[in-house]
Amino acid sequence: MVTKNYPDPKLNEKLRDRYYRRDQSNPEFTKETEKLAGSMAHMCYQCGTCTGGCPSAPRSTYRIREFMRRGVLGLEEEALTDPDLWLCTTCYSCTDRCPRDLAPTDVIMAMRNLAFRRDIIPVNFLKTVTAIYASGHGVPNNDVNRAAREKLGLTRDPPTTHMYPEYIKGIRKILDHYNLKENADRIIKEREG
Amino acid sequence: MTAEHKYAFYLGCIAPNRYPGSEAASIRTSKKLGIDLVPLEGASCCPAPGAFGSIDLNVWYAMAARNIVLAEQKGLDIALICNGCYKSIYEVNHKLKHNKELREGVNEVLKEIDMEFKGTIDVWHLGELLYDPEIVGVEKIRESIKVPLKGVKIAVHYGCHLLKPKKERHLGSTENPMWVEELVEALGAETVQYRNKMQCCGAGGGVRGYDLTHALDITNEKLTNMVEAGADAVVDLCPFCQLQFDRGQIEIEEKFGIKYDMPVFHYAELLGLAQGMNPSELALDLHAINTEPFLKKVL
Repeated sequence: MVTKNYPDPKLNEKLRDRYYRRDQSNPEFTKETEKLAGSMAHMCYQCGTCTGGCPSAPRSTYRIREFMRRGVLGLEEEALTDPDLWLCTTCYSCTDRCPRDLAPTDVIMAMRNLAFRRDIIPVNFLKTVTAIYASGHGVPNNDVNRAAREKLGLTRDPPTTHMYPEYIKGIRKILDHYNLKENADRIIKEREG
Repeated sequence: MTAEHKYAFYLGCIAPNRYPGSEAASIRTSKKLGIDLVPLEGASCCPAPGAFGSIDLNVWYAMAARNIVLAEQKGLDIALICNGCYKSIYEVNHKLKHNKELREGVNEVLKEIDMEFKGTIDVWHLGELLYDPEIVGVEKIRESIKVPLKGVKIAVHYGCHLLKPKKERHLGSTENPMWVEELVEALGAETVQYRNKMQCCGAGGGVRGYDLTHALDITNEKLTNMVEAGADAVVDLCPFCQLQFDRGQIEIEEKFGIKYDMPVFHYAELLGLAQGMNPSELALDLHAINTEPFLKKVL
């Protein structure tokens, strides 16, 4: 009988797993990244179209193609601890141009989500969370702006959570559901004292 | 003229809290064109797709869904004027409508605040409503103009999240779109084509907060290309891009020693000017870059 299997079951298993592995490879990282991104990163053939159109690439060491490879190879540490992970402006040029119809931008977002689970996150991201927890707005109103609004015939505070603070309770419930405020406060305190 | 098309006006953060002229202009100019923008009480930050999406996509979905449900409860489609908000509100609305698993997850969280995402409304950028001939259209905009913006050249900055990713949008070309140029030319102004027109402003994805110099270097490249093409001003459809180009020029001067003095307008502000609104009704004095030289040219 013709079979594609080898007699040695260990060899069989190794060869059936078509992915390249190193000691640092974590196959779960690949799976989780793909699931969160909703994109099959392992279909990437490394053509580099993504990096070629990336506005961050010419002015930094950030290489989206490299992150795609790290995703496929399961190089979790290398990907998540690289400060360049946070240089993607999410412009989606790479996603629009990918000849494999992948979404490198969403792969970056997925990796950032995974990094946050390990408390790896720049503080400015967390400050948006605390601002929204306080007022509902990432960029809240101020007195200069209130005076200007009044002159324009607008309400001093916009008809958002600013004018209807009773809605902030619901926002806090959502954020608390994910313990986001608690984690943000904790990490900011650890970094800034 | 009575308004035929009514939308819940989702404001976001930067327009109402930094460039309120865009909010005022959107409401007034739209009214003249048959669009009624009514307040969406209790709306919050969209939330910022770069910051929240990076931290936890699930929180981003749930927070955006809350804003969408507020409009569902009013029985109105949402109209908004910011590309970042468009990414959050349009994209999450679309995802939740078409992904049952995601929708159920979000609704479990929303249940805690007595809300439910039903998927009954659509989300639009005011720019696309203005361009749509079935809603407004370029012709009707041209007819509404009292002060044609003659003698100025405008560089259009589309911004990223209005058009990209293309497969999750419906607004056509993302490599060389021309429809916003049509909207600008309807005001009597000239538009210019410049190198790398579709490049990002540099602010998105949390980069403005994470590495300002890096973000400004991208902005600086765009401004150089606009100047090279002879632009007198930048127009965009996004208050965050507007902030990056406007305040960014002050920061570019501080960091790189380069001065542009290039006024930056939201399309609604330009439309307001062309429809005869007084500059004082647009709070142009809140702009970081002085708009007076530009106004002298057109008014």
